Amino acid sequence: MRLGLVIDLDVCVGCHACAIACKEWNASGTIGPLSDYQPYGAEPSGVWFNRIRHYEMDEYPNNKTVNFPMSCMHCEDADCVTVCPTGASYKRAEDGIVLIDQDKCMGCNYCSWACPYGARELDRSSGTMKKCTLCVDRIYDQELPVEERQPSCVLTCPAHARMFGDFDDPDSAVSRTVRERGGYPLMPELNYNPTNQYLPPRRKPVIPVETQPKGGLKESIKQFANKLVRR
Amino acid sequence: MHPAFSVIFFTVASGAGFGLFSLLFIADTFKLGGGFTPVQIVIGGIVALGLIAFGLLSSTFHLANPKNAWRAFSRFRTSWLSREGVFAVVFMPLALIYLASIWFEAPLWLRETFGLLSAVLAWITVFSTGMIYACLKTIRQWNTPLVPANYLALGYASGSLLLLLGAVIAGLDTTPYIAMSALIVSIAAVLKAIYYFWIRSPGLTPTINTATGLTRAKVKLLDTGHTHGTFLTQEFGFQIARQKAGLLKVVVFGLGFALPGLMLVWVFNAQGGQAAAVVAACAGIAGAAVERWLFFAEARHVVNLYHGAQRC
Amino acid sequence: MNAKIKLENHDAQEIKYTTCYMCACRCGIKVTLEDNKVRFIQGNRNHPTNQGVLCAKGSAGIMKQYSTAKLTQPLMRKPGTERGEGIYEAISWDQALDILTDRLEEIRSTDPSKLGFFTGRDQMQALTGLWAQQFGTPNWSAHGGFCSVNMAAAGLYSIGFSFWEFGAPDWDYAKYFLMWGVAEDHSSNPIKIGLEKLKRKGGKFVTVNPVRTGYSAIADEWLPIKPGMDGLLAMSMVHVLLKHEKFDYEFLVRYTNASWLVVQSPGQKGDGLFLRDENDHPLIWDIDKEAFRNGMDGDIAPALFGEYVAPDGRRVKTVMSLMVERYLDDRYAPENVALECGLPAESIERIALEMAHVAFKETVELPIEWTDVWGRKHDKVVGRPVAMYAMRGIAAHSNGFHSCRAIHMIQMLLGALDAPGNFRARAPYPKPIPPHQLPENNIDIINAPNTPLSRPPLGFPTRPEDLVIDEFGNPLRIDKAYSWEVPIASHGLMHMVITNATNHDPYALDTLILFMANMAWNSTMNTSNIQDMLRAKDPEEPGQYKIPFLVVIDAFHSEMTNFADLILPDTTYLERHDCISLLDRPISEPDAAADAIRYPLVKLDRDVRPWQEVMVELASRLKFPAFTKPDGARKFKDYPDFIVNYERSPGVGFLAGWRGKDGTKSLKGEPNPNQWEKYIENQSFFAHHWPDNQKYMRYANKDYLEVAADVGFVGKVEPIIMQFYSEPLQKFRLAGQGLYDGPQPNNQVDRERLVKYFDPLPMWYEPLEQQRVDKEEYPFFALTQRPMFMYHSWDSQNVWLRQIMAQNYMYMNARKAAEMGIKDFDWIWVESHNGKIRCQVKTMEGTQEDTIWTWNAIGKQKGAWGLNANASEATKGFLLNHLISELLPEKAGERRVTNSDPVTGQAAWFDLRVKIWKAAPGETGSWPQFDELKPLPGDERYERPDVLRYDARSHEKN
Repeated sequence: MRLGLVIDLDVCVGCHACAIACKEWNASGTIGPLSDYQPYGAEPSGVWFNRIRHYEMDEYPNNKTVNFPMSCMHCEDADCVTVCPTGASYKRAEDGIVLIDQDKCMGCNYCSWACPYGARELDRSSGTMKKCTLCVDRIYDQELPVEERQPSCVLTCPAHARMFGDFDDPDSAVSRTVRERGGYPLMPELNYNPTNQYLPPRRKPVIPVETQPKGGLKESIKQFANKLVRR
Repeated sequence: MHPAFSVIFFTVASGAGFGLFSLLFIADTFKLGGGFTPVQIVIGGIVALGLIAFGLLSSTFHLANPKNAWRAFSRFRTSWLSREGVFAVVFMPLALIYLASIWFEAPLWLRETFGLLSAVLAWITVFSTGMIYACLKTIRQWNTPLVPANYLALGYASGSLLLLLGAVIAGLDTTPYIAMSALIVSIAAVLKAIYYFWIRSPGLTPTINTATGLTRAKVKLLDTGHTHGTFLTQEFGFQIARQKAGLLKVVVFGLGFALPGLMLVWVFNAQGGQAAAVVAACAGIAGAAVERWLFFAEARHVVNLYHGAQRC
Repeated sequence: MNAKIKLENHDAQEIKYTTCYMCACRCGIKVTLEDNKVRFIQGNRNHPTNQGVLCAKGSAGIMKQYSTAKLTQPLMRKPGTERGEGIYEAISWDQALDILTDRLEEIRSTDPSKLGFFTGRDQMQALTGLWAQQFGTPNWSAHGGFCSVNMAAAGLYSIGFSFWEFGAPDWDYAKYFLMWGVAEDHSSNPIKIGLEKLKRKGGKFVTVNPVRTGYSAIADEWLPIKPGMDGLLAMSMVHVLLKHEKFDYEFLVRYTNASWLVVQSPGQKGDGLFLRDENDHPLIWDIDKEAFRNGMDGDIAPALFGEYVAPDGRRVKTVMSLMVERYLDDRYAPENVALECGLPAESIERIALEMAHVAFKETVELPIEWTDVWGRKHDKVVGRPVAMYAMRGIAAHSNGFHSCRAIHMIQMLLGALDAPGNFRARAPYPKPIPPHQLPENNIDIINAPNTPLSRPPLGFPTRPEDLVIDEFGNPLRIDKAYSWEVPIASHGLMHMVITNATNHDPYALDTLILFMANMAWNSTMNTSNIQDMLRAKDPEEPGQYKIPFLVVIDAFHSEMTNFADLILPDTTYLERHDCISLLDRPISEPDAAADAIRYPLVKLDRDVRPWQEVMVELASRLKFPAFTKPDGARKFKDYPDFIVNYERSPGVGFLAGWRGKDGTKSLKGEPNPNQWEKYIENQSFFAHHWPDNQKYMRYANKDYLEVAADVGFVGKVEPIIMQFYSEPLQKFRLAGQGLYDGPQPNNQVDRERLVKYFDPLPMWYEPLEQQRVDKEEYPFFALTQRPMFMYHSWDSQNVWLRQIMAQNYMYMNARKAAEMGIKDFDWIWVESHNGKIRCQVKTMEGTQEDTIWTWNAIGKQKGAWGLNANASEATKGFLLNHLISELLPEKAGERRVTNSDPVTGQAAWFDLRVKIWKAAPGETGSWPQFDELKPLPGDERYERPDVLRYDARSHEKN
């Protein structure tokens, strides 16, 4: 299996629901807690696995705003794993999820240097690197209802801009969607082979218009004729 | 990249230490300038090991969870950081045996074998340090063979200047030491110049367009989704003004290469100019430190593309 | 080797379902609790509103629950300290209730109008309104007057339902969606779910908005309109539709008043009113029978166009003819509005024609048999799949009522209402136009001590006689709602209360109760001056404040609580009973009537009480008739008991589900003592799914209207004919013209406003403030919106959400900024006619060139909301509110008039014009700054660590 996410940039409204749902689940999840620094102070900040950035394409008035959620891409060729000196970072053979063993990490930050996507954040309190687990503590939890065995970001996304599935299965919904919508990986030139894929904004629909050019407006007023229409 | 002082100190000190140790072995083997006495070699070796040990110790200061540092040796097969640690650790006993063999006047073959082994390991360790950075595809300014070459050249340049100082203090004939320093410092200067020239050209690197996949038009960051800094902005957001970088490069060349060069002439002319040798060593190491700071400061991690950089 | 994955200990966990309260969306949530701690809040998959999804605020509910801003006990301003100093003493609930009861008893037995009771982000207006009515004060409203009353009123006076909460786009069938002035608005999650559905099916999404963020980001086309010009744009689209004869003739004839005849007798009484028969029925000209006939009847063949002579000799014209005359005028041609709107004429024309194409060439037909209200059977439902939604960008202008009416005009012309793919009604809507509910205006009842009002304080006037004024034309309400100044102020004018009460205009209050409304900060206009007013002493009564007694009910330490004389601490939404009632602002969806409850999930850990419990307690102590048995004993034990047993009319109560003694009746039935249990069993909501034949065209759907009449949604089964032409408006206009048989204003200002703004057909005029400020001097429009992750949120600066945004910037168009030499993060001054602020700039492409805007309510007063004094919300965040006056700029010879829509009293937040310039070097930080709020007694229980490591399951892991 190769589990990962599809992010639909065509419908992501940038509401940060996925980011908070992620924070909420993982704060008390297997990798939690996720420290928040200066929670009531001048410059609040903290450990997050999923951040939403906002970009603008092109110039006014042809500009388009694109909301852009990013989390761990669970790369096939994950340099974050190969560079890790302690073996804390690893990629699971069975499903491709990249995880960090909190009991092994020495907090050297080196894996975060190797990650082009900014997926890894150091928790200063535990001294360990943390990152998206693809909610590994949800997706295999047999006691959760089947339809809830999904990453919490996917469960919550109000615009259904996130999908979760197995990219090894060509018939899975994620594989099909990526094929149909021209899904693409980020920064492919680095050859990390990220599992997560992004769906580009759709082209805008073309709607034909019919015009009935009339004479002068006074004419058209005269031309409006009553029809026999019964209520 | 955020220039972490512990890492700068570590790489500069250990580089100089490994350099010094390797060159000490060469000086010993070929009895350069008449050769050091065993005591002098052991003292020189201890200085080198001290620099290495101090450097390694300081590198653990940047670990957020140092209690797991011992695990860093476990991924020798894939991680240059792990390799560097392993090589450094293997180097230590070999180096100690070499020094012990001198101290206890062990048979020459033993002395030479362990000297050679530790010198080679020193070279490999410095190379590994360079490779820690050079293997990262995420940072264009590092992802080049010039980086390990630079690490080696600068480590050995610092080492050679320290060795020259030793030779001056020991009252040896300094000519071969001056020649060695002059050669290595020159190579280091040339390599560094090539590096600085090389990083100026952008090359085919990721841009904000390939980072986002939005390639149809100009892309600008509107909002990062957080008001204040994050781990990512703290670690990777550091940016140095072009002017300041230029100025620092002058410092690197002035302090790291030109001044030691000048001092070498001085030492050569004054035969035994201790002060000049001290200045040369200090300037060389200080120059290396500035170079190292700049090495981090000028590195632009591709994650900055997501924070608004147009290219890295 | 893989690390060990720690799974949940499900045995230690409890799962409960309740309703979110982070905004007006009111989604169903599934809450996982462990050891009385909140482990996880997620969307309820079965809930009709959010269908399993949940927004950022909803998930951040955990941090709301554990907010360190929570009030902990009742507090009284310390004797000897001044109001606004924020020095309090803890008192017991008994003391607090005694103090308040004594005060209220005195007011109620002398002059009940001396009590003002206004509520903010309240979700229980049916109860607060009932409470005010029972008390006998007309001075009650919620925050609708400064929120979106323009949308509600325009809809309810035009189509019988409205944008806001009384309708929703039909995302299943819509193929074209036009969104007007919607940033993040109710209902936020359903809109997000819907937009994705629409785009997935290949529908087109067009947004009209000066700013391209949020929903507008994903629009297929963005129309960056100049603020306040939406009505003009809509009328230009009407022009295009008429010009190309793109309108639904049948729909207009059947379901609208387009064929009704309007008397044309300028300068005479009765001008502009409908021609009516002796039974007061509006008349049409039947082209088949060639006779004037009852326009409500079913068997008519009305002339849509034409001018006729009534039997009494007066000239009459059809509404449609009047519309054609007006909107076909060159004034509304796209090329003639393009410059004012800031949009290309081509776009205006094309969008209108695209909608026409989708409406008429891509119709949706569903094989659903239904019967119209005139008894005819139809074998299918035809939908013209163009849907619209509009909200605050339209509402918050002083021309918003008419702009919104103009949008409804497009919908009516396209025949695109409450059919498949349209904007559709949500129960209990549609209602008669306007709803048959008049505000209490009997002065004798209002003045009578110890007497409830005979009607609710708010309603929908249809003529000058319905105004709430005295015999001299003076307002009877403290906010002047339903006075000549703002006759159709159906949600009141909460934004005027503090100003009017301070000025004793029209009279002085004794006690002002504010619930959950931050009227000393981001929910008021003119914040600095309002704070001064709250502190103002009465020169006539030494030692007394202009507003003598101020009671604030809130769960959090807001800027408003700092001015309270008495603070009554509320609970969080996870700690109490609530109901989201069909009598109020329900959670219905187009396909289902629905309501919901909350019940306590988390045990209380402090001395606070739910305000609804306190209201029931006070009502019982004050012996309100509805809360008291004939023998004088209290009728309801507590709030849950009240909810179950109170009946507004026989069988109709606050909750519509599981009624009847055995819980088998829906919508109507006797009280069921086990109703709460049934709701809890059913995941805290109730949904009555409409059968297919009752889902569409409900304004004329017999089967639906029969049910609606039975359960009290409408008075009786009769067609709800949509009103292009609004006769109530014309009656007010006639009063302004001096041509009305009945009350007429005696003030010239009022007369002019009525004549000018009470046009029975949708019109456009320049927003009122902009008519009075120098546009050369103040070249920019300035507005605000709420970010999606804080929209409508009660306390937004919680630990997680504030990491996303702890400071707001002033956004402006990048090219414009470059022209002015302004760069990202520059500090600038922004000045309006009312004041100036200093703030930091960010530039962007997606902002209309003449507009600047910021995120609202990020700026906080130092020390408020449980934050440290150095929080960036206080040091760098800012409010635009300082620049906005609650009064229009002065005009010679005129009394000060509210800065609101002249029809509805809707606060005109977005009419603001400003100038900007770069701050001098060294001028940094936001300005103005305010004194730091002092900690409250009880705050010491909160730790505010430098690092927070929330983990609901830490006990499991250690």
